[in-house]
Amino acid sequence: MRAQLEQIKENALKELRECPDLKALDGLRVKYLGKKGELTAILKQMGKLSAEERPVIGQVANEVRQTLEEAVAHRQEELKARELEDRLAAEKLDITMPGKERALGGLHPLSIVQEDLINIFQSMGFDVVDGPEVETDYYCFEALNVPKDHPARDMQDTFYLGENLLLRTQTSAAQARTMEHRQPPIRMVCPGRVYRADEVDATHSPVFHQMEGLVVDKGITMCDLKGCLEQFVHEIYGPETQVRFRPSFFPFTEPSVEVDVSCSACGGKGCRVCKGAGWIEILGAGMVHPRVLAGCGIDPEVYSGFAFGIGLDRLTTTRYKISDIRLLFENDLRFLEQFN
Amino acid sequence: MKVSLNWLKRYVDIKVSAEELCDKMTMSGFEVEEMIDLSKTMDNVKVGRILKIEKHPDADKLQVCQVDVGGDAPIQIITGAQNVFEGALVPCALHDSHLPNGAHIKRGKLRGLPSDGMMCSGEELCLKESDYPGAEVYGILILQGNWTPGTDMREVLDLNDVIIDFSILSNRPDCNSVLGIAREVAVVLKEEFHMPVPSFRTAGGNIADCMSITVEDYDLCPRYIGRAVRNLRIKESPDWMKRCIKSAGMRPINNIVDITNFVMLETGQPMHAFDMRDIRGAQIIVRRAKDGETITTLDGKPHTLNSDMLVIADSEGPSCLAGIMGGLDSEIKPDTTDLFLECAKFRRDSVRRTARTLGMRTESSARYEKGVDIHNVSYAMERALQLIEELDAGDIMEGIIDRNQGLPAERILQVPAASINALLGVDVPVPAMVEILNALAIATTVEGDTLTCRIPSFRDDIEGRADLAEEVMRIYGYEHITATPIRGALTRGKKLPERIHTDTLKNLLAAQSMREITTYSFISPKALDALRLDKEDSRRRVVTLLNPLGEEYSVMRTQLVSSMLTVLALNDSRKIPAVRMFEVGKLFLPKALPVTEQPAEIPAVCLGLYGPDEDFFTLKGIVETVLKRFGVNGDFTPSAEPYLHPGRQAEVRLPGYDAPVAVLGEVHPLTAADFGIDIRAYVAELRLEPLFAALEKQQTIYQPLPKFPASTRDLSVLADVDMPIAQLEKTIRSAASNIVEKVQLFDVYQGSQIPEGKKSVSYSLVLRASDRTLTDEECDHAMAKILKALEKINAILRQ
Repeated sequence: MRAQLEQIKENALKELRECPDLKALDGLRVKYLGKKGELTAILKQMGKLSAEERPVIGQVANEVRQTLEEAVAHRQEELKARELEDRLAAEKLDITMPGKERALGGLHPLSIVQEDLINIFQSMGFDVVDGPEVETDYYCFEALNVPKDHPARDMQDTFYLGENLLLRTQTSAAQARTMEHRQPPIRMVCPGRVYRADEVDATHSPVFHQMEGLVVDKGITMCDLKGCLEQFVHEIYGPETQVRFRPSFFPFTEPSVEVDVSCSACGGKGCRVCKGAGWIEILGAGMVHPRVLAGCGIDPEVYSGFAFGIGLDRLTTTRYKISDIRLLFENDLRFLEQFN
Repeated sequence: MKVSLNWLKRYVDIKVSAEELCDKMTMSGFEVEEMIDLSKTMDNVKVGRILKIEKHPDADKLQVCQVDVGGDAPIQIITGAQNVFEGALVPCALHDSHLPNGAHIKRGKLRGLPSDGMMCSGEELCLKESDYPGAEVYGILILQGNWTPGTDMREVLDLNDVIIDFSILSNRPDCNSVLGIAREVAVVLKEEFHMPVPSFRTAGGNIADCMSITVEDYDLCPRYIGRAVRNLRIKESPDWMKRCIKSAGMRPINNIVDITNFVMLETGQPMHAFDMRDIRGAQIIVRRAKDGETITTLDGKPHTLNSDMLVIADSEGPSCLAGIMGGLDSEIKPDTTDLFLECAKFRRDSVRRTARTLGMRTESSARYEKGVDIHNVSYAMERALQLIEELDAGDIMEGIIDRNQGLPAERILQVPAASINALLGVDVPVPAMVEILNALAIATTVEGDTLTCRIPSFRDDIEGRADLAEEVMRIYGYEHITATPIRGALTRGKKLPERIHTDTLKNLLAAQSMREITTYSFISPKALDALRLDKEDSRRRVVTLLNPLGEEYSVMRTQLVSSMLTVLALNDSRKIPAVRMFEVGKLFLPKALPVTEQPAEIPAVCLGLYGPDEDFFTLKGIVETVLKRFGVNGDFTPSAEPYLHPGRQAEVRLPGYDAPVAVLGEVHPLTAADFGIDIRAYVAELRLEPLFAALEKQQTIYQPLPKFPASTRDLSVLADVDMPIAQLEKTIRSAASNIVEKVQLFDVYQGSQIPEGKKSVSYSLVLRASDRTLTDEECDHAMAKILKALEKINAILRQ
């Protein structure tokens, strides 16, 4: 009997080793360990053994059973692992095939640039305000120290809608609107759409975008203006960029300056981008004209302030190296998809 | 303002290079638009004398010339021109020379014979008849005068000069003059400014005896000065004056006309010369024109005038358009003997309006429009008379007629120096301020900290400390302004709620694979026809531009759809297979027409899409997503937009808001065709105000997650074909509203096995109670109630 048991064990272990899959394994388990299995059959004959032999053979039988059970479990683990391996191997993908794409939406480049500027100025404590695009002559010109028939009006060709109604030529129109119903301290930017009767070409559009900035408080100086603009310039053009003030004229600021930044293409040495100047003009600015302050009910003897106007379209075209401003308004999808 | 460097040097010693001068002027407020070094336009072009001409042995039309170009021996030049002759002085481009037209001339051979250069025509030297007599003759330019062979042609053509084009800002009309620029040059270079001091002798006879001047409209002509000159000796001007006039792009005529032009360029004050015989009645009347009066100006053009225009008239009628152009009848002629010289200040806006109305723009009107200085009027007159004497152009009569209503008194400003520095934020030393202001002709003294500044009359723009601060700083140098952090109270920067909500919307749409577009706010009125809007449609009440760039951009938009369709059409025409786009913009809705007050600017968003995967329901899905995000609950109901497919459009309305919150649908084929769209396209327009209002009312409060399991039941009913799906769903929900959690449509079917006129509609229902697990009986009961309710609207359980 002992020899029988040893034989069963040997046969079973051999078969288990050669067993190819989980299904065959289950068959082997039934064959040897099942209720009608070979081991059970042997054990049923235990009764025929002598009392001395019985515990000895019983122990051997249990050992064989345990060995087989362990071997089945072990083989099962092996086969499971192999089966998983096989499945994973079979499931291998060509990961170079394209993904299931959902088209990326996005904002217009002008919006992206505008949002960048808003974030910069908002973080410096500027409120972001809006103004009407159809303005009265008063807010677009008179309140900004540009009386009727002043030659400064020639600087901007204005679209008129009626006697005193026009499409604002500058976001500066928001200055008086802000100051009229607010006392200092004032820090605001007003981004928005402006209009001038310029024929359409690569660098001109009758519709374009600006962002006006205005700061009014006690003791504001031109140095504050430079500090504020330098912050903005460093954010947009990089911390190496230099800022230069150049005298200019705007009716609503005095002193007035054009603000140039060192050309990023050549670092100020002079190249094709800056037309050899080493500097690129980016915006106009100045100290708020005392008459503008007074006209809005702010005492110029007590308060001073600065204002600036940034052309967003120009900033956008230079940032993305867009050669023709018309592309911004044409809205070809292949153009828009380049900005994220 | 184009200024010749040589001309500037008459008034100020310029020791620096033209480049350095340009840099310094730019940094003091006179931006240089262009600098043209005339001497660099050509090189190695010399005067040559033709010694001998022979026919080319191998070419009929070529001539072989021996030319003395100042070297040891004559050189041989072959030319095809036929106007050359022995002894002629001609411009010769020698070997390795450059011409202003860009040509690089080298030695070469023509039909076998060497040619050591080229003789030049006027055209090759880019000359016009007005630049050099004979320049436009066909053939070689034959030089006048007696030049030594070998002389550089730049000397012959006065090209040893630099023309600098300064951009003059509108607050500095005084610098539309060579003297004005020269004064600024002197200041930036710290050199003396030598302003001419006029003096002249008179030669008997008094103007008062032969002329009278009446100014009727002082409001348009605050000052008018007349002088007379007799025994005119009209001839050519001297070379120096001709050079000056030519450097400004004007044409020398004769000494009298040249003097008035020279003085205008030099002082910025226009003048006008009349032939005294043509002043009828010997009287000058400065008055508004009578409506319908006519004048023929110097350029030969007739004009009909109105009472808004100022004229210089004599006893019979207008003889000059004040400040713009003289009349043909009274111009200076070669036989003019007696001259009446006018020098006046006309109001700038009057000149501007008249010039615009008549479509004229002259050197004179340009200066008047920018404004001339009332005191400079007499200086210019004296300067002109000085030149008349200097050029021996005539005998100056005694007397001056000066019509004005009193000249403005000198303005004196007293400003604390500290207040200037306070505005600038820098410490400009007081002596430096005083020095700068004095150099700018603002006579300044200092007492304690107070500056007393006498403002010259040509500096109208200086009104207070801010202006003085600018004058000081632009000369002292803006590089002294150092960047400091903004001082003042710290404030939090806030966005308006509308802007925050708009950002939310834009980002939401971008997340729906949509691309933002930007289009013009004005459109063509034809777009409204293409949208097939009814004559009475309120969107036809548009605000019209009075001066549009063209019809295409002539009315403010009252809807965004037409702009979107234009963009869809563009993309479609460029074979882009699918697009999803949106635009946030304003609708301009007038309160009354024609507009007398600002129109309402209503924020709206337009969605537009096309492509193989798009249909009405993809668009509707996006609109639903937007409405959901903003917390708007509204039903989609059929709408009747003329630009949309009549059977494929819907709108959402909210109580208390007149316009639909949203209108959406497939574009009507006729509208699509009008915009040039060949495929099915879908558009929606949403008003933002009600969306934002709903969003602001939204309060997010956490709802506990369900504790008890849900039961799922499927349901298929046969309903009438016309039965709106939304009604079925509503019926299902309301029949068992306490436990119906979700009604999910999964199939709508018509066809075989379905009776005619019916459709099969299948739902998956999720039933759940918040406080217990539903029993099968409860679910069955609910389903029975639902079926009963459905039966009432003729929707029967499908067996």
